[in-house]
Amino acid sequence: MLAASTMPTSSDLPQPLNRFPAEVRAAYQTFRATGDEAALRVVVTAAVADFMPRNSVHSRTEPLRAEERLIEDLGFDSLAVAETVFFFEDLFKVTIKNEEILALRTVGELCDFVARRLREKSPAA
Amino acid sequence: MNPAPPAARRPVVTGLGFITPIGNDRTAVAASLRAGRHGLAPVEFLGNPALPVKLAGTVREFDVSSTNSRDWTWPARYDIPRETLRGLAPHGVFALCAIEQALADAALAPAAIAHQSDTGLFCASAGSARMLHFHLGQMDAARGERGNPMGVVSSICGTLNFNLGAHFHITGAVCGFVSACASSSHALGHACDEIRLGRLRRVIVVGAEEHNAETILPFAAMRALSAQSEPALASCPFDAARNGFVGAGGAVALVIESAELAQQRGAPVLAEIAGWGQSADGHSVAMSHPEGAGLRLAMQRALADAGTAAGEIDYVNAHATSTPVGDRAEALALRAVFAEAGARPRVSSTKGLTGHPLSMAGAMEAAFCTLALAEGFIPGNAHLRTPDPVCEGLDLPRETLAVAPRLVLNNSSGFGGSNVCHVLRRGG
Repeated sequence: MLAASTMPTSSDLPQPLNRFPAEVRAAYQTFRATGDEAALRVVVTAAVADFMPRNSVHSRTEPLRAEERLIEDLGFDSLAVAETVFFFEDLFKVTIKNEEILALRTVGELCDFVARRLREKSPAA
Repeated sequence: MNPAPPAARRPVVTGLGFITPIGNDRTAVAASLRAGRHGLAPVEFLGNPALPVKLAGTVREFDVSSTNSRDWTWPARYDIPRETLRGLAPHGVFALCAIEQALADAALAPAAIAHQSDTGLFCASAGSARMLHFHLGQMDAARGERGNPMGVVSSICGTLNFNLGAHFHITGAVCGFVSACASSSHALGHACDEIRLGRLRRVIVVGAEEHNAETILPFAAMRALSAQSEPALASCPFDAARNGFVGAGGAVALVIESAELAQQRGAPVLAEIAGWGQSADGHSVAMSHPEGAGLRLAMQRALADAGTAAGEIDYVNAHATSTPVGDRAEALALRAVFAEAGARPRVSSTKGLTGHPLSMAGAMEAAFCTLALAEGFIPGNAHLRTPDPVCEGLDLPRETLAVAPRLVLNNSSGFGGSNVCHVLRRGG
């Protein structure tokens, strides 16, 4: 695990959430302030929708459902899954192993995994 | 030397796409070339006003300055899906848009080139030093424990081929060329050979570069850049007071097809690539051969390949970047090839207007030559005031001439002494 003080502090470092809708950024702040996992799920689901390829069979107007599978239902390839996971690594400063990524099949499993990992990282949050 | 191709396999230019400092479409670029309107703009790299680099040839309508592709903006007329964007370098956005534009210019839908075994894509760029620096910085900061999965494909040399080959579903051949400032000229030359040999019937050629600090500023360390803040004094190829080049970025794409394929689909032929030649100086890692010996040989080979005598060339688009050593070497090479044969074509370097976009220069200037042939003008030497005496005997018009050339020569030279020249002939 990496201490926050050793992260790059350049002012032009892009904020992973800076292009997300206000309600997603607000949910992130709520999670940071309160540890509310429902707010965390809003952030994780928004990121999955953001990484979802255009050729996905999923309609963009419908909210993603927890049981939808990243690859079979949403059209992700393994690189897109890896990139989505990196987004969370970068956002929450955690490291996620390959075998952990490979076990994640659905939107709900991804949400549960991120929530669990952040609980482990910061049990007091 | 290439064998003369059968008439059906003559390579012709059927489409052009421009994202350049002097315009983002064919009409705007032609207007800038005719008017002598430059595309150099003030820049301040690394937030340091003390740096002796004041100008760059910059691209308008795009903002790809962030290291996060989500922040990038481009004109709405181009279609870039999220899953393509995530693997692109900043200059990949320029290149994708230039290709979309060139396809439209050639009356080809993107679907028409997808999964076609006779269609290839040849690319040239230096990669993205900015993205490489950023991703490696991120990896270093995490002590190697994590890194962006797209870090490699969005940054290393080859980023254009990986991304654009997949995006446009190119199946004939996808390849990158790396010979510094001759790179996209090599791409174009080899594209022509593939068509002449009958291996492919269509090749999309694209050259692209970024105009950020990471791409341009390292050339200041080589003392190769002009420190001038006045555009006319900064990029003035062949001028006695030239003092270095002005870096530039953007992308230019050309659709090259066999004459037979162009005819079959009724595509307008903008120009024919009549021949090309290459050589190497075998002299210095960065400096041109002092007498331009390699460039001279490349010009002679291109003329021979095209079956053309020096006296038949109406216009030469010179590589001249406004550096003291490079322009001198090219002037001497031009004198050896043309003046000594009693020939006096018009010679100009359009880098006075565009600055020097490195790997992209050759494709950009081949496209300018195509415009000159298709639209009937000869670009002038913007910013030339007092020609260096070494240019004696060369015809260096200041203003763009309303003269329609029939045969033109396009020169390129890159680090390590790579030289590439193309001969283009008026189409139709």
